[in-house]
Parts: sequence; C-alpha cells; structure tokens
Amino acid sequence: MAKVILKNIYKVYPGNVAAVKDVNLNIEDKEFVVLVGPSGCGKSTTLRMIAGLEEITSGELYIGDRLCNDVAPKDRDIAMVFQNYALYPHMTVYENMAFGLKLRKTPKNEIDRKVREAAKILDIEHLLDRKPKALSGGQRQRVALGRAIVREPKVFLMDEPLSNLDAKLRVQMRTEILKLHRRLNTTFIYVTHDQTEAMTMGTRIVVMKDGVVQQVDTPKNIYENPANVFVAGFIGSPQMNFISSIITKEGNRLYVKIGGQKLPVPIDKAKVLEEKGYVNKEVIFGIRPENMDDNSDFLNKYSESTINAKVEVMENMGSETYLYLLFEGNSIIARVEPTSNAKIDHTVKLAVDMNRMHIFDKDTEEAVI
Amino acid sequence: MKGSKLKVNLILMVLLILAIAFLAPILIVLMNSFKGKFFISDTPFLLPNSKTFAGLSNYVNGLIKTGFIQAFGWSLFITVSSVVVIVLFTSMTAWYITRVKSKLTKSIYYLFAFSMIVPFQMVMFTMTKVANVLHLDNPFGIIIIYLGFAAGLSVFMFAGFVKSIPLEIEEAAVIDGCSPIQTFFMVVFPILKPTAITVAILNTMWIWNDYLLPYLLIGNEYKTIPIAIQYLRGGYGSIDMGAMMAMLVLAIIPIIVFYFTCQKYIIKGVIAGAIKG
Repeated sequence: MAKVILKNIYKVYPGNVAAVKDVNLNIEDKEFVVLVGPSGCGKSTTLRMIAGLEEITSGELYIGDRLCNDVAPKDRDIAMVFQNYALYPHMTVYENMAFGLKLRKTPKNEIDRKVREAAKILDIEHLLDRKPKALSGGQRQRVALGRAIVREPKVFLMDEPLSNLDAKLRVQMRTEILKLHRRLNTTFIYVTHDQTEAMTMGTRIVVMKDGVVQQVDTPKNIYENPANVFVAGFIGSPQMNFISSIITKEGNRLYVKIGGQKLPVPIDKAKVLEEKGYVNKEVIFGIRPENMDDNSDFLNKYSESTINAKVEVMENMGSETYLYLLFEGNSIIARVEPTSNAKIDHTVKLAVDMNRMHIFDKDTEEAVI
Repeated sequence: MKGSKLKVNLILMVLLILAIAFLAPILIVLMNSFKGKFFISDTPFLLPNSKTFAGLSNYVNGLIKTGFIQAFGWSLFITVSSVVVIVLFTSMTAWYITRVKSKLTKSIYYLFAFSMIVPFQMVMFTMTKVANVLHLDNPFGIIIIYLGFAAGLSVFMFAGFVKSIPLEIEEAAVIDGCSPIQTFFMVVFPILKPTAITVAILNTMWIWNDYLLPYLLIGNEYKTIPIAIQYLRGGYGSIDMGAMMAMLVLAIIPIIVFYFTCQKYIIKGVIAGAIKG
C-alpha cells in the first residue's frame, strides 16, 4: 500500500525519440488508476518506468515516500502482470507462484500458505500441479495474477492483462480484477487501450497521447467534461460527433450554426462562450450519439433544438439502434431507441440535448465548455 | 493414383539402397571383427564361418595393443568436458547477444555465423601453432579449442531459440527478484533445454569421432580412441586388421547408444528453433 508519484517524468530513446513527455501523476494509496490511450502513446512505457524495466530519462518517481529512480525492480515492492502472462513454462503453477517468494528466502511453510491462499482467491487450487501449457488463456491469466498476489506488493502494475482473452472472458476477468482490488486494498496501476476497460475499472483515468498526458480525472468527469477533442473522441463508443460550426448571435441568444441549420446554446454555456470571445468564431461542436434522439418524448423535451439529417446506415444492436447520418455534409452517429421509425435514405428529425454539448477551440482543440 | 504409388515405391527403393549403402560399412566392420586377421583381406564381405571365426581374440588383442581403456577414458573426458563447456558458454553468449542489441553484439553474431563456413583444414596448421604457443596442447587446453570450433553452430542455434522466448518472461523474473545470473540459470536456461540437448548431441558426436584435432595437438601423449586405433597400423604397411575392426566396433557402440537415447530431442530442438526465428 503506497502512493505513487511521478514528477516531470521523461523517457527519451536514443535518436532523440521522446516516448513519454513531462508526465506528472499523483496516484493515491489504494487507488485504481487506468492509463489509457492508443498504441504508441507511451502508456506502457510509463508503466514500465514505474516497474523499473525502463530507465527514467529525467524526472522523479516516488513509490511510497522513497525516490525510486535508481532502485532495482525487485526492491521497488511492486508486482506486474503482463499481457502475454509471462509464466515460466518449465515450472508448475505452484512453482510459478512461489518463485518470487523463494528468491526472497521466505520460509517454506509461509510460501505454501500464501500460494494456497492466493490460489483459493483465484479459484485455481486444482491447477497447482499443472504446467502453464496445460492451461487455458483465462487460467493462465489467473496464475499470472496469483504470482503477483502472493508477493503482497505495495503496488500492482498491469500491462493490458486482458487483451489476449476472448471477449466474454475479458468481461468476466474485468470484474474479477475489480473484486481483487477491493479485497487486497492496494494501489493498482492498469494499462489498456480499451476505453471500456478504462471506464469500468478505474477510479481515475489517465488519458495519454503521443507521450503526453491529456487528462486525469474520474471516468464520469472524463466522459462528461473531456479536456480536448482527443479525449472526447477516445472515450465513449460510438465516439462523440465532431462538427465544425460557427457561433452566431441573434438577439440575445447564441446559436451553433452548422451549414443551414442552427441550434440554440443554453444560457449558462452562452455566457461562457461570450466571455471567452467565441461569438462569430469557427469552433468544433461536439455531441455524443446518445444525446440525440428521434423519439417523441425527446423531441418534445428539446423541441427548440432539432436537426434534420439523412439516414445512410442503420445498425440495430438489439437494445439500441445506431443511425449513421449525413448532416450538412458531416457524417454523424446517433444512438436512438430500437423502436425508431427512421428509414434508410429518408430524412429524420432528431432532437439534440444542448445541455450536453461540447465546444472545442478550432485551433488548439481544447475544450471551451 | 497408380502413377503416384509407383513413384512412392521407386523412392522407397532408392532410399532402401541408400540405407543399406550407409549401414553396410558398419556391418562389414562388425562381421570382420570376428574373423581371423588373415581372412579379412581375403573375404571381407563374407560372414565368419567355422574356419574364419576367431572368437573374441581380436577384441582381447586390440584392447591390449592399443591401450583402449585409457584411450576411452581420454575420449570420454575430452568429449564430456568439451560439451559441458560448449553448452554452458554458447548458451550464455547467445542469450547476451540476442538480448543486448548493439552494433557490437550484432557483428559478434555474424562472426559466429561466419565461422561455421570456415573449414577446419584451412586453419589447422596456424591453429596448432597458436595452441602450442598458448600451451593448449593438452587434454584440458583442447577443451577450449573445441569450444572455439563448436561455438559458431551452437551460438547460432541457441540464438534462434532465445529470440522465440518472450522477453516478458525475463522481465517477470527480474521483478520477481532475479539477478541477471539467476534469470539465466533459473528461467532462461531451463526454457532452452531442448536446444541445449540438441547442441550437446551434435557436438558429442563429432568430438567423440574427431581424429584430426587431437592428433595434431595431443596425439603423442594422450591418445583418444580414433588415434589409438590408428596406432594399430604398424610400420611397413602391416596392419592388424582384426584388432582394428574390433576396436572400431567398441568405438562406435557408445556413440550409437548415446544417439538412440537422445535422438528424439534432436528433432525437437531443431524444430523449436526453426518455427520462430
């Protein structure tokens, strides 16, 4: 159990390739922090620097209260779970789990107790005598978790641990890891490129891109108040619609003007836009698919803000329907009720919940409201 | 269908003839080792009969004349020590040059690969001279020279296999608390076992049978089996053929037994390196 603090961490590879740039994180004790981002964004490198598998080019890393830049991985009191499990193929499950303790010269009976306890938690007691190659993917991942648990580390590091599992097992293991976190009450740092995993598992999410931290916040805040276009687009599925538009003022009200159609900006948001001087300026208008709908309740509720768009493709997911629309030359997606009467190639009238709209600066792509 | 069956039979025939051709010399040696020495050159291809059968006299004769037991000891010592040294050092080398990527390790790797194509005969005289200067011309020094000659192929084979081991396994070992030496001996080497066995078998076979190198370096004082047998050639072309045949049989037996007990690992090791390279 420990805090992990990253101060101005850089990772620069030979040839002046910066993989991680100026990362500052303050991970509280017992937190479940998820690092998320597309491949090559530096999330794994950051994790590997915390683990000590990569050298830190500059900056300071604290685990607990100890400066750990030059501490060997084994002395950092961390455990890591890898994407491809990284089990020792020549050892049985028991030996795999006991290996770290054996190296630390833990008494035999204590090793035995810890291994059996961890095996019980993970429900792999019956597999202890098997070799990794005789296990299924899910079982191997449990063993990898077990190997981490028995060490009772201060910090758990997980590098895309579920990516090699099939979809169903992934969902199952996701909840198992969450249960484990609750049970062990330890700091978890988890790397994934899957925004669903990030949203469902993290107490806080760190979104990264090109080695730079874009936003650090709770899943809810990241979803509702993304800091920039990248975060807004990365978190959420289907992703947020981005439409370039102009803020116009008619009378006292501000409107988002997209082609020939316009949507009124709610008063509180309008005030901010006006203060920041975005009137008559080009901006990026963002709206999530679920904040547009064509059912009558929604249309009645937001009768002021409606748009007309042509349906190009419909995807019926069972519990919901995705409409792929052409709206003033922009392709957008709306998530509507499966009972929607929208038809392909027909124009549909959708209401937009403008309280949930986002405006991003056209140049910096930073969120304005 | 009929055509292909004919083809299969034809190939089978050719292979059968080849197999007989390869096995025949061993069989002839075995047959003649039981014949009286004067009958060997007369009827080399006939089975021993009541007239030509000499019992075990060739064996007894050979053992006495050649000092076979001592030669066996030297052969065993040199082969086993060399193979242990080869497996140990080349596996470590291969691990290092595969995992530590730099221009230096890359060129070392290519140097090893290149050394495979240099024939022994090309370097044997200069090598012998160098070995004399460095005092490697004894049963202990020759182990180092065998290491040198075997390093090319062995490093090449180990390196191919090391590449297929996921790096994460070693990283997990580091986090679990292994030092580099522990990582190698407790994690990497056990995974390399199939390749290690293959390397051991291949090297055992040629070092056990090797004639030229021990002859050039230590042949006068320490006779290995192939050299000891050669000493059955007396002066003026007189050869005790019977004893020679008998000793050849004794020399072949250990390596055949060794081969048959280990052969399944050879295939395993060769394939293991080949699939993922």
